[in-house]
Amino acid sequence: MASTAESVSDPARPEPLHSGGRQRGNPWRRPWALEGFTWLYILWSIVPIGIAVLFSFNKGASQATWQGFSTKWYVGNQVTSVLHNPSLHHAVVQTLILGVLTTLICVPIGVGFAIGVDRWRTRTSQGLNLVMIFSFVIPELLLAVALFLLVTQALTFISLGTEAEVAGLVVWNLSWPAIIVRARLVSIGRSYEEAAADLGASRMGAIRRVLIPMLMPAIFASAVLVFASTVDDFVIVEQLSSTGNTQPMSVLIYSNVHGGLSGPALNALATILLVISLAAALIGFIAYRWMTRGERTQGSTEALTSIAGI
Amino acid sequence: MSGGHVKLESLTKRFDQATAVHEISLEIQAGEFFSLLGPSGCGKTTTLRMVAGFEPPTTGKILLDGVDVANLPPNRRQVNTVFQSYALFPFLTVAENVAFGLKYKSVPKAELNSRVAEALELVQLTGYEKRRPNQLSGGQQQRVALARALVLRPSVLLLDEPLGALDAKLRRTLQVELGVLQKQVGITFLYVTHDQEEALTMSDRLAVMNHGRVAQLGTPEEVYNEPADAYVADFLGVSNLMDARVQPGGDGKGPCQLRMGDFTLEAAAGRLDATGTVKLAIRPERIHVEPYETTGANRVPGMVERLVFLGSTTHVYVRLATGSTLQTLVRNDGAELPYSQGTAVSVAIPAEALRVLPDPAVSAAEIRDETVGNDVLDLTGTNSG
Repeated sequence: MASTAESVSDPARPEPLHSGGRQRGNPWRRPWALEGFTWLYILWSIVPIGIAVLFSFNKGASQATWQGFSTKWYVGNQVTSVLHNPSLHHAVVQTLILGVLTTLICVPIGVGFAIGVDRWRTRTSQGLNLVMIFSFVIPELLLAVALFLLVTQALTFISLGTEAEVAGLVVWNLSWPAIIVRARLVSIGRSYEEAAADLGASRMGAIRRVLIPMLMPAIFASAVLVFASTVDDFVIVEQLSSTGNTQPMSVLIYSNVHGGLSGPALNALATILLVISLAAALIGFIAYRWMTRGERTQGSTEALTSIAGI
Repeated sequence: MSGGHVKLESLTKRFDQATAVHEISLEIQAGEFFSLLGPSGCGKTTTLRMVAGFEPPTTGKILLDGVDVANLPPNRRQVNTVFQSYALFPFLTVAENVAFGLKYKSVPKAELNSRVAEALELVQLTGYEKRRPNQLSGGQQQRVALARALVLRPSVLLLDEPLGALDAKLRRTLQVELGVLQKQVGITFLYVTHDQEEALTMSDRLAVMNHGRVAQLGTPEEVYNEPADAYVADFLGVSNLMDARVQPGGDGKGPCQLRMGDFTLEAAAGRLDATGTVKLAIRPERIHVEPYETTGANRVPGMVERLVFLGSTTHVYVRLATGSTLQTLVRNDGAELPYSQGTAVSVAIPAEALRVLPDPAVSAAEIRDETVGNDVLDLTGTNSG
């Protein structure tokens, strides 16, 4: 009797809509397989970085055997620490110089580019649309080699080193401000400029007093991206740097990792690179949220996607 | 604040192939509350944007107090706009928003502050100076937009569906307030809306637009009570339209006899000189539903098809013996309705409320004949052939 009572459906509990089939158990159960895969992915991408960072704090000179904690590869060691080794030290400074200069030059050009393409619509602006995504389309190495030839063969007044590096990085990173600012221009629409013009502003006045303030979050987000991407850049700076003090961190790490100078000081250098990039992204994220706090629909996801340049 | 007289002369706007505004000519008196009414795509907003200066007209003139401003940029016209989206600058406070335009008028600081305060008082937002637009409700934002435009003392204020984004109740309150405000400041208002109730309640005069043309221009009473054609009658509130034929023998002035199916009706309003096929229009509130077989002139038998309860009134749909369905309004005064769905009734159509209107298919053909152009817009979608 008990078994029949079980097999007959309980009137209080409705039959599943699709009886039979493959449906089993709770459809709202945790997706174990997806979760597991996600964790594997995170481990795979973070663990190597974590190990590299860890060994920058190694007491010994090994990059493989942990010998205790120390900051000697950053500041302590009088010869080979990042602070005291002139080539490492210069690499950090050079990276920061390139980051700041490129950002300062690239962002205003990109903003102007975006406004020009989006607001002064002509036949040429259609073609310029393509130029805007230029760096996403062509291989970086191709651009780097082309710029190298250009600078050494034709535009010889630009010397290899900081000048050529900044010029190359500006060209390569122009897409960030152009695309991000343009996306915001589209979402802002034209009504604010029309309102400004209606209230008496000239075309330039409307851009200066209304459009630029409204674009600030996008301008800032793209500045952060240009900076972070410049700091990380290797291909262009490798081609366009000259010897001596114009090698930024990425080039120095590359040229020393197989032979040459090695040891935890290089890990320390890489860690500094990582921290600079992360700090730029974090500052960008926080500042973006602060700048767009007045806009009701802003969530952190939107800030993230803007910072990530999607 | 000077004048505010607006005159549009054969104003036309073409976008690529489509003609958005087709040779509109109208005159708005200084201090008038004038509305452009029509469905979306009728060209009303384009007309307003041309007056504001956001769109250059293809041809035609925009005379503002006698001066053609058609080729001036918006910042050099004595007109200001209240946008449908308000377009308040989100990074500025309410006071800064209102003061925005005054910066271009080289107004001394003290005067600037007092004018901002005055404008905010006018729209009852004193005390909100330091807030940002996103800290205000929709209705308050709309008032800031109004203050921002009025503070410049324009000769004409353009309003592009300013109440469109608000809920129905607030919209009604603001309709009244806007009307009062306009009389108070005495500025010419050019108001664009698709809401016939808004246009009727607020305007001194209005132009009903259809496919880039003015279908009718007049006071709210005129366009509501004496619609020029079936389009206007239908757009301004619910109108019952019926097909009929004019019986020959009328003098063209007095009431005319019409044949609708097997019934003869007398009409005493509208185009009494019309001949042939016409449309008959009657407002729901002018129809009386009576017991079946009530005798008398202008009565048509029918059957109650549907009752729709609307709160203060009930809509009664009656299918006439001629085939067409009429809508009537019955006030819910507590008495039970003497009929229900399926009841046979008699519908009394008073002759003085029955309007003869030109058949839209016929009038569309007339318009086509007038303008042998390359206009691609079909006027009614109905073909006269």
